[in-house]
Amino acid sequence: MTAPDLLKPALYRAEGSDTDPDHPALLGGACECGHVFFPPQTYGCERCGRMSLATRALSGAGKLLASARVHLHGGKTRAAPFTIVSVRLDDGPIVRTLLAGDDAVHPGDRMVTMLVPVTNAEGAELLDLRFVPQR
Amino acid sequence: MSKSLKELRPVYVVGIGLHRYQFLSDTTYVDLGLTAVRAALADANIEWPTVESAYVGRALLPMACGRPILRHLGATGIPIAHIENASASGSTAFRQACIEVASGTSDVSLALGVDKPMAIARAEGLTGIGNLADDAIAPFTHFALLADQYATQYGVRHEDIALVAVKNHRNGAKNPFAQHQKERTLDEILGGKKISGTFTSLQCTPVGEGAAAVIVASEDGIKRLGIAASRAVRVAASAGRSQKVNIDATRYDAVLTKETAEIAFRESGISPRALDIVELHDAFAVEEIEYVEAMGICGEGEAISRLKDGEFDIGGRCAVSPSGGLISMGHPIGPTGLGQIAEIARQLRGEAGSRQHAGARTGLAHMVGVGAVCYVHILQK
Repeated sequence: MTAPDLLKPALYRAEGSDTDPDHPALLGGACECGHVFFPPQTYGCERCGRMSLATRALSGAGKLLASARVHLHGGKTRAAPFTIVSVRLDDGPIVRTLLAGDDAVHPGDRMVTMLVPVTNAEGAELLDLRFVPQR
Repeated sequence: MSKSLKELRPVYVVGIGLHRYQFLSDTTYVDLGLTAVRAALADANIEWPTVESAYVGRALLPMACGRPILRHLGATGIPIAHIENASASGSTAFRQACIEVASGTSDVSLALGVDKPMAIARAEGLTGIGNLADDAIAPFTHFALLADQYATQYGVRHEDIALVAVKNHRNGAKNPFAQHQKERTLDEILGGKKISGTFTSLQCTPVGEGAAAVIVASEDGIKRLGIAASRAVRVAASAGRSQKVNIDATRYDAVLTKETAEIAFRESGISPRALDIVELHDAFAVEEIEYVEAMGICGEGEAISRLKDGEFDIGGRCAVSPSGGLISMGHPIGPTGLGQIAEIARQLRGEAGSRQHAGARTGLAHMVGVGAVCYVHILQK
């Protein structure tokens, strides 16, 4: 049986990064000037304006900066409550997305990525990226 | 060599007018706008044909809402430009009107902010750049995350952050133009509807509609039109900035606030601790805490204890959000930054009635907007 496809394959992959082979990598970018960023883009470097941007697989591990349990959500694609986490990746960028599960988390906690099954608008089973506390 | 506003000819606020901020109603945006402009003309005691240009700040109303309002004052043919700059639209319209008068292009210019609640489409979502879950991170969650970060960094309780809302609802209860005009206890605020993180509904700005108008004039204009110079309030500084690449990429609003306010303090020669009045972008309670520290009104990590000591109350060291701020007065978007200017002018003239901060001589208006952008103005009497 093959694994389901990824919901957003341009943003993450099942394989880890060189810096953290154990957890799904985020797909960011890096500029010659040293600026490392997420999400990836090719329009030009936000720090220096250069267009020579390379993709960079970023570690799926980092430190929790903050979390918020969301009780009110207007969109139809997901149901509140859910928890949003703000994580500083070990490779630099800060990313925000959903927490998998309902475990209590606290600023400073080590967090890692994982892929969880979701259903898209067409009813297809796919995998999306979430963070969980590192065990 | 470029020049700051202060180095050009002096600009004064001479007329202010508002339509009360309110929940969505059948009132047309034309009625909202006309009410504010007519009030501002009456306040300045001038006639509409003396106004030489108009800047209309709006973020939600569709294209070209200015003339459908202003034509009912008598279509004088003046240039009308529309300013969209997210939450800072009104502040930016004010800056452009000030620059126009300071440069000598006009002697009298109008800045009008008007909006009604409508579906919001943000251009950032149309860039083609992906995102993990931005649809799940509304502004209240962005600031709920920052509140959690602040509480952790400085070891404060979330209930303490909610004290901002207690103060601002108390102020708004005395403001006839405020959307919320009711004092609230801390228990009422904490026991309200849960929104995100530790924020309850009364710690968040309401969605609403309204209008605010400010007329600015040069000294030539004031003399020529016989405007009461004793009620004119000098615009001592105008600064605008946009986000750069920050090390702490999520705290851009506070970083921008610090940078923009520093420019305005330098331009005006007024220090942050000399301010009597501050109107700031307190859409969510933690913002007031972050911004008074970023502006240097108090030291980092000190805002909660200063708030508890009453330093930011009307009658305290520096009245912060005497209008009720965005939390209580409201945030109809286009009008908000101009409503701040109106409140500060009222306070500096000594005309703020039951919410008057005694002896007010200097005031600062601050807005941030998605993008992110930040605008700061300092007024002086």
